[in-house]
Amino acid sequence: MKNKLLFLSSLVLVFIINLFAGNIDPYYYTILIYIGINIILASSLNLINGYTGQFSLGHAGFMAIGAYLSVSFSTYFAPFFIESFGQGIFGNTISFIILLLIGGIAAAIAGIIVGVPSLRLKGDYLAITTLGFAEIIRVIIQSLDVVGASQGFRGAYIFENGMKAAMIPADMSSVPYVFYSVPKYTNFFWTFAFVVIIIFFISNLMSSSYGRGFLAVKDDEIAAESMGVNTTKFKVIAFVSGAFFAGIAGALYGHFNLYINPEDFNFLKSVEIVVMVILGGMGSMIGVIIAAVILTILPEFLRGISEYRMIIYALLLIIMMLLRPQGLFGVQLRPGKKNKNK
Amino acid sequence: MKFGGLTCVDSLNTHVGKDELVGMIGPNGAGKTTVFNIITGVYNPSSGDVLFKEKSVVPLKPYEVAETGISRTFQNIRLFQSLSVRDNIRVSFVKSINAGFFISTLQIGNYLNEENEIEDKIDELLEIFGLIDVRDEYAVSLPYGEQRKVEIVRALATSPELLLLDEPAAGMNPTEKTELMNLIKMVKDKFKISILLIEHDMKVVMGVCERIIVLDYGKKIAEGNPENIKNDPKVIEAYLGESHH
Repeated sequence: MKNKLLFLSSLVLVFIINLFAGNIDPYYYTILIYIGINIILASSLNLINGYTGQFSLGHAGFMAIGAYLSVSFSTYFAPFFIESFGQGIFGNTISFIILLLIGGIAAAIAGIIVGVPSLRLKGDYLAITTLGFAEIIRVIIQSLDVVGASQGFRGAYIFENGMKAAMIPADMSSVPYVFYSVPKYTNFFWTFAFVVIIIFFISNLMSSSYGRGFLAVKDDEIAAESMGVNTTKFKVIAFVSGAFFAGIAGALYGHFNLYINPEDFNFLKSVEIVVMVILGGMGSMIGVIIAAVILTILPEFLRGISEYRMIIYALLLIIMMLLRPQGLFGVQLRPGKKNKNK
Repeated sequence: MKFGGLTCVDSLNTHVGKDELVGMIGPNGAGKTTVFNIITGVYNPSSGDVLFKEKSVVPLKPYEVAETGISRTFQNIRLFQSLSVRDNIRVSFVKSINAGFFISTLQIGNYLNEENEIEDKIDELLEIFGLIDVRDEYAVSLPYGEQRKVEIVRALATSPELLLLDEPAAGMNPTEKTELMNLIKMVKDKFKISILLIEHDMKVVMGVCERIIVLDYGKKIAEGNPENIKNDPKVIEAYLGESHH
């Protein structure tokens, strides 16, 4: 009960802040939104990598699926959304909820398709498989003309003869068309509402007896199986719900940036999310959130030397591994205890 | 059970009766733990069958075996290192919990009642084993003997009908061993379960077990009540080596 009140009041707080968000400088507003999106991405990956101990390296792939699918729907089906719900604040809200869910569910389905076969693998093998998956998604998008291929996607041209395309084909230059750009639905409220949702989702799940199954899978799969935990099921659940939230984050990103490019979801994006999780401490909610905030703001200070960003990340990780291997807020288990009895 | 060309457990034919406390002894490498791994579905036997309550458990996965009511402990302790004693035991309730993924995340319906019930059951078990004071400690930070007890509690918490204990008294001194064996006997009577336990030390099992199976090189060399086992020449040979006089 207390939990639910806290949840609702957090949402109300986000709503109230949103009323004043218009006064924030657009530059800071953008950073704020990116912070929110990165918190969702990092927390959802933390569910897979941190709590369940399955090292996934393809989170940007799920984000890409969510972003591209929901943005495609909001442009190619713009007339349908406008006709059905109108363009008032109420209509936009309903449209956006549907679009977010489309992004999330599409990514979750992809999560099932990738997760069920690949979660039999462990450690490095799983990391490589998920990495491969994310690259496949990116390469597919890069060759899909319907979403602008490598040009990126900013909206859909709907021609008078019913044709739809992301770019004007050469032979259609004389046909009249309407251009539907990506609607700017994402704002402070939606982003941080989902930040609140994912925080409560993970903390509720992990504090429940049921959620102990995830932690048991991470610690010792054989023991977990022997205690009646269906480890495959728990891995798939973690993977699919992680993918779902990554899809939502992608949809939020697409409807904020209004232009998405396959390169936004490349290997480095996946690495960036993994770095947030490792830096914050695997399985530490607060640590991962703080790491997401720091790693979103940091590049802004480093704009002058942005090409060295990945080098700085790598250094940061090496220093962390040496000084605090459990991450900023990770739990320190007593050294040596783990293997004492083996 | 064969691994490549090596036959690890060879045509073992035995049974554990209802509410029976059976000991399995044998020298190092006799195949005792392998028998456990076969029963719990970790290994698939190359031939033969394992029946539990008249049903074969061979085709089942380890978690399904646990669901049918067989639970175990491990020779090399396998506690969940990032969890407290209480949470280690809580994992055992995952299989029987009504609240699934959605109820647990939304915390609706009967969720809180169920969590409280589980909490009470855990405390009850910890009380019996004298672990109630350390319930919030990390399980892996406890002394060796207590870690073994946590493993037994964790196995018991799955409400098994057959409990497999793999050297529960390993690493304890003789007094502690006897105490633990008496505790195990008490648990067996209280929870009305069958127990199959592996033990290295013959003296320890003699006191509590109703029947003893002796394995050597994967073969059953003797089976019977402790008194007969103690005097069985084959057993003495396996343990002390062949006599040459």
